[in-house]
Amino acid sequence: MTFADYLNLVISAVLLAGTYAAVAVGMTIIYGVMKIVNLAHAGFLMLGAYFVYEVHERAGLHPLLGVALAFPAFYFLGILVHWALGRGIPVSDEPTLPSLLLMFGLWLVLQNLGYLVWGTSDRSILTPMTFATLRYGEITIPKIGLVVFICAVLSLAALEFVLHKTWFGRAVRALIQNRYACRIVGVHVQRTARMTFGLGIAFAGAAGGLLALLYPFSPDFGRPFLLRSFVIIVLGGLESFSGVFLGALILALVETFSILAIPSSYQPAISFSLLVVALVVLPGGVAGVIARKRRLA
Amino acid sequence: MTPGTQFAAAGGVVARVLRFAVPLILLSALGFVPLADLGANATKVLFLTCLSIGASVAWNILGGFTGQPSFGFAVFYGLGAYTSALCINGGVNPYLSYPLAAGIAALASLLIGLPTFRLRGPYFAIATIGVSEAVRVVMTNLAFTGGASGYRITEQVPFRQLEHYYTGLALAALAVVISMLVRYSRFGLGLRAIRDDQEAAADSGVNPYVSKLAAHAVAAALTGATGGVYARYAAFISPDGVFAFQRSVAILLMPIIGGVNTIWGPVLGGGVYGVIEEELTARFPEFHLLLYGALVILIILFEPGGLMGLLGRMRRLVLRLRVGSWQPS
Repeated sequence: MTFADYLNLVISAVLLAGTYAAVAVGMTIIYGVMKIVNLAHAGFLMLGAYFVYEVHERAGLHPLLGVALAFPAFYFLGILVHWALGRGIPVSDEPTLPSLLLMFGLWLVLQNLGYLVWGTSDRSILTPMTFATLRYGEITIPKIGLVVFICAVLSLAALEFVLHKTWFGRAVRALIQNRYACRIVGVHVQRTARMTFGLGIAFAGAAGGLLALLYPFSPDFGRPFLLRSFVIIVLGGLESFSGVFLGALILALVETFSILAIPSSYQPAISFSLLVVALVVLPGGVAGVIARKRRLA
Repeated sequence: MTPGTQFAAAGGVVARVLRFAVPLILLSALGFVPLADLGANATKVLFLTCLSIGASVAWNILGGFTGQPSFGFAVFYGLGAYTSALCINGGVNPYLSYPLAAGIAALASLLIGLPTFRLRGPYFAIATIGVSEAVRVVMTNLAFTGGASGYRITEQVPFRQLEHYYTGLALAALAVVISMLVRYSRFGLGLRAIRDDQEAAADSGVNPYVSKLAAHAVAAALTGATGGVYARYAAFISPDGVFAFQRSVAILLMPIIGGVNTIWGPVLGGGVYGVIEEELTARFPEFHLLLYGALVILIILFEPGGLMGLLGRMRRLVLRLRVGSWQPS
């Protein structure tokens, strides 16, 4: 392998990492605030993919516009779900068994609604960009990958802005730190939780739409990404947003470069192995290790 | 003492006796069912129901008693099935292959539990989703078990369905007995303490890590044996069958439907699931899981005790009505 080949792999890993970060961030924010492992994340990713597909096929809109539309649509869907299941998903200090099973049930429902509506066959969204590449000498960049990466990074930047510059964002970050103190200083916990849930689902839907631009999808589309999201969150240290980027980058690099060593049929096993390694070696996540180093220094 | 309270007290004793006697009577009645000559198909459904009960009760030991839900019990089911299949083809007595299947599954449970039980929280539950996926992928690519095209078991004995049925029934009964032993033992009380409050349990001298590993191993062993019994009956197994995520989902659904954290809830759930599963799958091949998903949501929201909780509620209602009518005005 030449240097250019390695560079190509690194570039594709970075592009992948951006997408993964967008996929995982919805799960992170919901986990951070409500301590719910949103297993239905996979279902919402799938719905997002089909949402963009339908918008593209029926209304003839550009898929990227569909992704932008997915944000408000899934935000309100999330609010609706939270309203309907509210009594089963309280804001708690640690993940509860009922909330986990509830989200699992929701995932089953969403997934099989998908089967009911769209059937079992794979769909894909094809645009003129899909097979186009940008070439700079020996370095090639898939155009669609680049576009998706830019969209993912833009949406994450917007999220960072909201989290750090608005009162809602401050309330969210405060809730992640300490729920009881939040009550004292006047944060409306239930309302913030509901909006957070909506936001998490909005990101799931939009990320699903972005994924649909890259891969073919079926109603079982979300499952591998659910595990990847969780690996990213664990690598990043569960509640930190900067950790999400780091975790996504590590996962993407490992996945991309493992192709050189491991037969591609074993690919789905990689994210799990990474999860086990992460759990055994660095239980606080990469961010936790960095924080510990900083404390020591 | 008013007649009302007297009646309630008597009703309590009767209920307590009934609670233990009725399931046992029903279970032993299952032993005589084949004598009624139901035909091959009904016997098959009953056999599969017994296996469902076995796996369901096993899941409940970890997911119910210990409060650690797993989404990956298909791993143990599949490993048990493959172990049994390889043993039987290698000339080992089938009944000897089931304990072996249980042993392999228990070993696998340790491999999964050692890293994931180190941490509290949802790690274990999520990791199990990954485990089942990873194991299925590996089994799909493994050459000596035929990979994705599956593995055939060839036995040089005539096929006797009743033998299979009684094996399944014995396994279900064994699972219930083990579940009872765990429930009422010191070990089981420790598990319950972990479920309620892990820190308090640790302070009272229960080692949560070791206890969870042990519960996981017991549950895995039972599930592995169930898989082994299934493999011998099916005579053909494939990764997409025994290791499928659907299988994990089914094993998880049964105790939730029946009522987690009880002895008879998982039995009830497994029984109901086993009997209606085939009909449902045949009638709604693509979305029978939709019904189950909706059922899980409804159960968690309105009756976390599942069918058992519902029965208890009905019993209380009946008792209250009866006591009410006895009250002197």
